Amino acid sequence: MEVHVMNSVQQSLDNNQSLSCQALASLRSLVINPTTSDSTLSSVLDALTRSLQLSRDSVILYHTLKLLTDLAARRPHLSPFALDLLRSDSLFSSASPRLVGESLSALLSLTSTGNDIDAARFVSLCLGPSVSLRLCLLRNAEKLVVRESVLLAVFLGFTRDPFPYVRKEALDGLVKLCKNGDFDDRDVIEGCYCRAVELLRDTENYVRSAAVHAVCEWGKLLVISSQDGNKQDLSDAVFIQLGGMVRDMSIEVRLEAFGALGKIGLISEDILLQTLCKKVLGTNKDKIYKPIEGLDIPASAVAGAFIHGLEDEFSEVRMSACFSLRTLIVFSLQFACEALKLMMDMLNDDSMIVRLQALDTVHHMATTDHLKVEKIDMHRFLSTLVDNSSVIRSVTRKILRLAKLPQFKLFKLCIDGLLGNLETYPQDEVDVFSALFHIGRNHGKFTVHIIEEASPELEPTCGGKLGFDSTRVAAFLVLAISAPLSHEKDVGDIPPRIFSYAVTWIGRISYALSDIMNQEMLLAYLSKCSRSSAISLVDFKIKETLLTVEGDAPINLCSTVDSPVGMAWKNSGGTSDFHHKIQLGIGKSVVHAEYELGEHSELRKDVNLIFKKVKDFWSLVQLGCTNEALKGIRVCKEEVASFNKESAGCAGAVAFTLQYLRVIEKLAAVWEYRRLTKTFHPYRVENLELRFAKLDRRLREIRNRFIGLTKGEELQILELLLVAWVLRLSKMEICCYDTTIKLLSSTVAHAEFLHEGSTEPSNFMVEVKKSLHDVGSSSSGSTYKPLLFEKLLDSFSLQQFVLCGTPRYIHAELKVPGNDSENPLPFIPGLPASIPLAITLHNVSTESRCWLRISMSEESTQFVFLDSNLICSGNRSSNVVREFTFVAPFYLTPKAISFTSSVSLGIECFSENVDRVKVSGGPKCELPYLCPEKQIFLCKSSERSAFI
Amino acid sequence: MAIDCLVLGAGQEVGKSCVVVSINGKRIMFDCGMHMGYTDSRRYPDFSLISKTGDFDNALTCVIVTHFHLDHIGALPYFTEVCGYKGPIYMTYPTKALAPLMLEDYRKNMDRRGEGEQFTAEHIAECMKKGTWVSFSFAHFIQMLQCLEKDGLGVSLSFRYVFKIVISYERNHLHNPSIFGVWTGERYIIMKDQLPGFNYFLEVYCLKLSFYSDLTPSVIPVDLKQTVQVDKDLQIRAYYAGHVIGAAMFYAKVGDAAMVYTGDYNMTPDRHLGAAQIDRLQLDLLITESTYATTIRDSRYGREREFLKAVHNCVAAGGKVLIPTFALGRAQELCILLEDYWERMNLKVPIYFSAVRNFDRSLINAPGPCVLFATPGMIVGGFSLEVFMQWAPSENNLVTLPGYCVAGTIGHKLMSGKPTKIDLDKDTQIDVRCQIHQLSFSPHTDAKGIMDLVKFLSPKHAILVHGEKPKMATLKERIQSELGIQCYCPANNETVTIPSTHYVKADASDTFIRSCLNPNFKFSTCSSVDKSYLDSNGSKAVSRLSVSDDRVSEGILVVGKGKKAKVIHQDELLNTFGEKRHEIQFAYCFPMHMTRTENIPSASDLLCGLDKCTLISRLSTILSNELSEGNILDLGEQLQVESFRVSVCLSDNCPHRLSGSFQSNLESVFFCCCWAVADEKLAWKIISIMKGSTLQTT
Repeated sequence: MEVHVMNSVQQSLDNNQSLSCQALASLRSLVINPTTSDSTLSSVLDALTRSLQLSRDSVILYHTLKLLTDLAARRPHLSPFALDLLRSDSLFSSASPRLVGESLSALLSLTSTGNDIDAARFVSLCLGPSVSLRLCLLRNAEKLVVRESVLLAVFLGFTRDPFPYVRKEALDGLVKLCKNGDFDDRDVIEGCYCRAVELLRDTENYVRSAAVHAVCEWGKLLVISSQDGNKQDLSDAVFIQLGGMVRDMSIEVRLEAFGALGKIGLISEDILLQTLCKKVLGTNKDKIYKPIEGLDIPASAVAGAFIHGLEDEFSEVRMSACFSLRTLIVFSLQFACEALKLMMDMLNDDSMIVRLQALDTVHHMATTDHLKVEKIDMHRFLSTLVDNSSVIRSVTRKILRLAKLPQFKLFKLCIDGLLGNLETYPQDEVDVFSALFHIGRNHGKFTVHIIEEASPELEPTCGGKLGFDSTRVAAFLVLAISAPLSHEKDVGDIPPRIFSYAVTWIGRISYALSDIMNQEMLLAYLSKCSRSSAISLVDFKIKETLLTVEGDAPINLCSTVDSPVGMAWKNSGGTSDFHHKIQLGIGKSVVHAEYELGEHSELRKDVNLIFKKVKDFWSLVQLGCTNEALKGIRVCKEEVASFNKESAGCAGAVAFTLQYLRVIEKLAAVWEYRRLTKTFHPYRVENLELRFAKLDRRLREIRNRFIGLTKGEELQILELLLVAWVLRLSKMEICCYDTTIKLLSSTVAHAEFLHEGSTEPSNFMVEVKKSLHDVGSSSSGSTYKPLLFEKLLDSFSLQQFVLCGTPRYIHAELKVPGNDSENPLPFIPGLPASIPLAITLHNVSTESRCWLRISMSEESTQFVFLDSNLICSGNRSSNVVREFTFVAPFYLTPKAISFTSSVSLGIECFSENVDRVKVSGGPKCELPYLCPEKQIFLCKSSERSAFI
Repeated sequence: MAIDCLVLGAGQEVGKSCVVVSINGKRIMFDCGMHMGYTDSRRYPDFSLISKTGDFDNALTCVIVTHFHLDHIGALPYFTEVCGYKGPIYMTYPTKALAPLMLEDYRKNMDRRGEGEQFTAEHIAECMKKGTWVSFSFAHFIQMLQCLEKDGLGVSLSFRYVFKIVISYERNHLHNPSIFGVWTGERYIIMKDQLPGFNYFLEVYCLKLSFYSDLTPSVIPVDLKQTVQVDKDLQIRAYYAGHVIGAAMFYAKVGDAAMVYTGDYNMTPDRHLGAAQIDRLQLDLLITESTYATTIRDSRYGREREFLKAVHNCVAAGGKVLIPTFALGRAQELCILLEDYWERMNLKVPIYFSAVRNFDRSLINAPGPCVLFATPGMIVGGFSLEVFMQWAPSENNLVTLPGYCVAGTIGHKLMSGKPTKIDLDKDTQIDVRCQIHQLSFSPHTDAKGIMDLVKFLSPKHAILVHGEKPKMATLKERIQSELGIQCYCPANNETVTIPSTHYVKADASDTFIRSCLNPNFKFSTCSSVDKSYLDSNGSKAVSRLSVSDDRVSEGILVVGKGKKAKVIHQDELLNTFGEKRHEIQFAYCFPMHMTRTENIPSASDLLCGLDKCTLISRLSTILSNELSEGNILDLGEQLQVESFRVSVCLSDNCPHRLSGSFQSNLESVFFCCCWAVADEKLAWKIISIMKGSTLQTT
C-alpha cells in the first residue's frame, strides 16, 4: 500500500505536476497510520516539499498545510523538517490571508518558543491588508522571535490603526515590551507614553482600558528614565493622568485605572490628599503639571479619585480602590489618616468582600505603623466586632492586636468592644483572649488602670465563692496577666492574687495563648507572678511573632499581592496572560513547567528593575531624603516579596534581592547618622551602635548565605562591606580602630583578588586603597583621622546592581519530629540526652562545615559538628537539597524535671578570620545561622509518663 | 443645518421641565412637567409657543418623558387631554407603570387643598392608557395565532411589548371587546382555551378583528439601550440615569445631528440605584440638568453612617424610630440600608413598613423598640401623622426627616428649629420631645458629576436647565473655560440655536480604498521649543518620537459641478484633471567677497575648475557655523540645504544675475542659487549670510 501510494505520487511529481487532492488524501492516510515507517514519512515530506514548489493553488496549499501539521504533531522527530517547510516562502507568501493565518497558527501551536520568523516577513505580513492576520501577528508577537526595535515600531505604528482591536493589541504589545525591554531612549519612551495618553480618549472601552495599562507602565519607565530632579513631578503627573480615568463609564476601564493608581509608587502628599477630596485643595489650585510638552494636566483632574472609587457601583471597583489605597498609604501619614476615615466608612458597605478588603487595608496601616484611630472612628470600627461574619470579626481583632491607642478612653472602648464580642459570640473565645493579651502587652499602664477599675468584679463574692464561671472575668484575667510582659516600662503593679485567680483558668487561657507560650511556661509564669510582682522576664522566652513587622504576613485574604480584583475580573472574561501565568504558577500545573524558563528571565528583569530603583533611592539618601528613600525601599521589599518564588531558580534570586534591599535599608539608616550627628551625644551613640550591629548582621548574611554569584556581583557586595567599615571608621565614638582597619584591609585584599584581570575597580575602591596605604605608612596606627574616612565616603556612590547569575540561597530546615510541649523527649539528669533531628539543607556544599548549636542558656551552650559524610549520605541528595536525620547528643542536661533548649544550625565561614567566637570546642570562625531557632522540650524520663 | 432648542420650562429655575428641540425638521418635546410652586397658569409650560393653532400633533414628532417625578411629567395629562396632543409619548417601562400613581396621588392632594382641578382621574387614565384600534387582516391574525400555537404557552418573543389582543364581535359592536390574551413580552399569558368557541365564531361570524394595543400611538414604553425608530429619520435611545427607578437619559438622532437630554440623573450610585451610564457618543448638543451646579457633595458613606448611628443608638436605648417617607425612592434606599445593617449587626428589633395596607395598629404602642416606615413623608397627614402624635412625646424616640420639606408641613416645622410644642389645629397640640434626625440623601448629581459627564461625552455644545440662575452661570463658565465647550443657560421661553453636523456622502476611488487597507505609518520627530525652559537655560529644543498613519488623511475630496463628491488618492489628482505638475523655482546670482592670502593672478584663473570644490567646502563651513537649521549637504561642486542649491557661476551673462547692480571685480566670485517656494525664507537667510561673510582662499 505504502509503496503503491508513494509511487503514484512520485510519478505525478516527476511529470512536474503538483499533487492532486486525491493524492494528498492518500498521503494523509499514510501520515495518520501509526505503523507507517519513518522512511516512508520522510519521502512523504520530500514529496510535499516538491509539490509546494509546483503549485500555487490555495486549496492544495491548504491541504498540504493540514498534512504538515498532522505530521509534525504525530512524529516529533520529523517535526523540525515539517516546521522548516511550514516556515518556507511557499505558504507565507500566499495571497490568501486565511492560509497565511492558518500556517501561522499551525506554527505557533507546534512550537512553544523561539519561532524564528524573520523581521522583514513579520513586518510585511503585518502591513498587509488582512486585519485578522494583523491581529493574530500582534497577539503572538512575543512568541515569534522578532527584534525589539522592530516590534516597537510595529506596535507604535498600529496604535494608529482604524480598527479598534488592532489598537488594543498594539497597546498590549507595547506594555509587554515595556515590561521586558530595556529602553534608554528618552524619545522612544516619551513617544510611547504620549501615544498611550492620546488613546485614553478612544471611543472603545477595551482600547481605553489597554491604554490605561500602557500609560501606567510607560509612565513608570518615564519616571525611572528621567535624569534630572523632576522625578517627583513626573510620577505625580502620571498618577494624575491615570486618576482622570476613574470616572470612565466602563467598569473595565475603571478597574484598570484603580489597579494602575496603586502601581505608580512615589507620589507627593498634596496629590495623594487630593485624591481623597472632591473639592480642589488650595495647594493644588491652578497647579498644572507638564510631564512632557503638550501634555499639560491640572492637578484638579485627580480630585476625589478614591472617593469615587470607594462609592462605585461595582464591588470589584470598590475593592480595587481599597487595594490601591493600601499601597499608597506608606507615603504619607496624613494621607493614611484621611484614608482611615474612609475605610471606617467602608465598613458599612453592602458587600462583604469589600468590607474585608477595607479591614485588610486598615490592617496594613497597622503593620506599617500608620494607624491613628480617633474616637469617632473607634466606635464605627468596634462595631465590626459584633458583625455577623466571623471572618470580619477575626480580622478586626487582628488589627486591634497591632493598634497603639494614645488615650485610656479609646483603650477602654476597645476592651469593652472585645468583651461585647465575647458575650455575643462565645465561640470567639480563643481569639478574643489572645487579642486581649496582645493589647494588654501593648498598653501596660492602661491595663493596670483598667484592672484596678474592674477589680471588684474579679474578687470573690461574699460567700467565698469565686465568680469565675463568667467568661468576662476570664477575659479580664487574661488582660491582667499580660501587664508584666508589657513593652512599656514601669507599668505599675497588678495585685499578685489576680495571677493566682488566673491559675484556675489555666486550661482555657493557655489554649488561647498557645501561639505565645505553652501551658507549663504559663503556669510557671503565673505562679512566679502570684508570689511577687517584681519579676525578671529573662526566664520567659516569649515568641514575639506578632510584633515584628516582617514576621507578620499580611492577612491571607487574597492569594497574590497583585490586586485580587483584577485577577478575578480578568479571568472571567478579560485577557491578561500575565496574571494567568501567576495563577498557573501557584497551581504548579504542567503548563507551568513550560513557562519556567521564560519566567525566570522575566524575574531577573523585574529584579534588575528593582535594583535600578534602589540606585535611585540611594541618590535620595545622599540628598538627605532618607525617609523617602526608606519608604521606597520598603515598597520595593513588598514588591519583591510578591514575586513568584515557586519555580526552581527564582527563590534564590528573590531571597537575594530581599537581602540586598535590607542591606541598603540599614546602610541608609546609618548613612543618615553621618549627616545628622555632627555633635556628640551619648544616647545617639548607643542608637548608632545598634544600627551598625544591624547593618553588620545583614551584610554578613548577604555575604555568607548566597552562592553562585558572579565576580562582579561579589565585588559590589564587597564594596558595600567597605562602605560599612569606612562608615564605622568615620565615627570615632564607636569604632574599635584596629579591628576595623584589619577588616578593611582584608576586604580590600579580597576585592583586589577578585579584580584581577577583570573590570576596573570603582572610584571608591581606588580611593579606599589609597588611603589605606596612607594610614599604614604613617608610623603606627596611633594617628587616627576620622575626617579622612569622612572624606572618603563622599566618593562613594551606589552602583546599580545587575543580577546576571542565579544566586542560590543557603538555608536549612530543622525539625524535631514528634516533639512539643505536650510530648517532651525523655532524658536522665546528668547523662547525655539524644535529640533526633530531621535536617534539610538547601544549597549547602559538601565541603562546608556545619555546626549544630544547642543551648539552654547563655552559659550552657554546646556545639555539635555535622560530619560531611553524613551530609552526603542524605536521601534526596541532589546537590541542591539534602535531607537526612541526625541524632544529636546534648551533654549538659541539668538536674531538673524538665527543661527546654533551643537548637539552630549554622555554617562556618572562613572569610571572616577575625576571632570573635570564643566557645571552646566550637567553630573557630563566624557562624551564620541558616534557620530560626527551634525549641526542644525535654522531660525527665520517669516524669514523662505522669505527663501523659 | 441647525438645532433649535426652545426652553418652555426649567430654564434658570427648578420645576416644570420642558424643552422642545427642533432637529433636522423633527420636533421633540423632552419632558412635560409642572411647577409645584405655582397654582396659576405659570404652573404649566406655555404650550402655545409650540403651535399657535393648537395643532400639536403636526407640530411635534413625539414627546419623551425621562422619569415619573411631577416636575417632569405633571403637565402631561393636561397636554394630552386638555390641549389635545394625540401623538406618541415615549417613556421607560417603570415610568409608565408608576406615573399614573404619582399623578393620581397629586390630583387627590390638590383636591384636598381645594385647588382648582386641571385634569381629572379619567384624564390621567386616558392619557396613560389610551390606545387606538388597529385592524389586522384576518389572514394576518390567523398567522399570528398559529405562530403562538406552535410555540406553546411559554413562547418567547423577540420583542418586548405589553399589549392586549382583543377580539370584537361584529354582533356586540366595538364597545364591548373581550380580552383573551396578554403578551408581556416574554410569554403569552392567557391561554386560548379561554376563548369560548374559538373555531366556532371564526367560521360563523367572520369577525372584524382588531388589536387593542398600547403600542401604537400614545404612551410607548422603551427599554434601556433599545434603539427606537420613531419614524423614518428619528432614532431615540434611553440610557440609565440613576436618580429614581425608571429614570433615563434620552439620546436622539436625526440624520447626522445627534443630541442627549439627560433629565435628572445621578453620577454616584446608592444602594438601590446605580450611577448613570451612557456610551461615548458623537454629540452636537447635550442638555443637562444642573440642580447642584456648584455644590460638591461628600461621600454617601458619611450620610449613611450618621443615619445608622442615630437609628442604632435610639433602638439600643429602647426607643422607637419613625421614618416618614413617600412610598417610592428614598424609602427603598433606607430600607435596604437598614435591612443590611440589621443583618450584619444581628439586631432583632422589628422593622415595619406601613405602606402594606393592613398594618396592625396595635403594634404602634407595643412595648420595646421598633423601626417604622410610614407614608406620607413630611408628615402632612395620614398614617405618619397618626404615629407621630403618639411617639413624639417620648424623648427616647426618633423621627428622621427627609432633606427637603415643603413649608407648612409638620416636617418643615420640626426642621426649622426644635419646637417643644406643635399646634396641629385649635384643639390638638403635640408635645415634641423626641429626637429629630435630618437625612441628606439626594438623588441628583453634584457639580463634579455634571462636569464629569460633560467631559466624558464632550459634545460640541451644552445647554444647562433645571437649576438656579447664578449657580448655572458659574457652571457655564467652568464648562467653557475648563472643557472648552460652548455652553448656554437660556431662560424660560427662550430659543437657543446651535449649528449641527451634516455629513456629505462621497464616493471613494479604488486607489484610495486600497491605500486605506494597508497601514502606512510614518515616524517623525517633532521638534519644538519648550518655552518653560526659556528663563533657565535659554531655549532648549525638545524632540519626541511621534507616529502618524497617513492612509486616511491622504485622500483628496473632489466635488465636481453637478457630480457627487468623490475622494481620491493624491497620486490620482493630476490624472483626474488631466493636468501636469508645475513647480516654481527661484534663482538668484550674486557675487561674494573673497580675500586672498596668496597672490593669485585673477579670479578667472582661480576659477579654472580646480578650485570650485574648495570654494564650496569653504562655503559649507561658513554656513554650518552660521546656520542653525537645515541639513547642509556638500555635493562637490554644489551645496544643498533642503531645496536650496548653490554653485559657483562662471558665465558672465548669467540670466539670474541682475545686470548692472554688481560690479564684477577681482575680489569677488559669483554664486548662482535656486530654490523652491517652500524654502524661500531659508534661502534668503542663507543669501544674507553669504553676502555678509568673506571667503578665505589660499
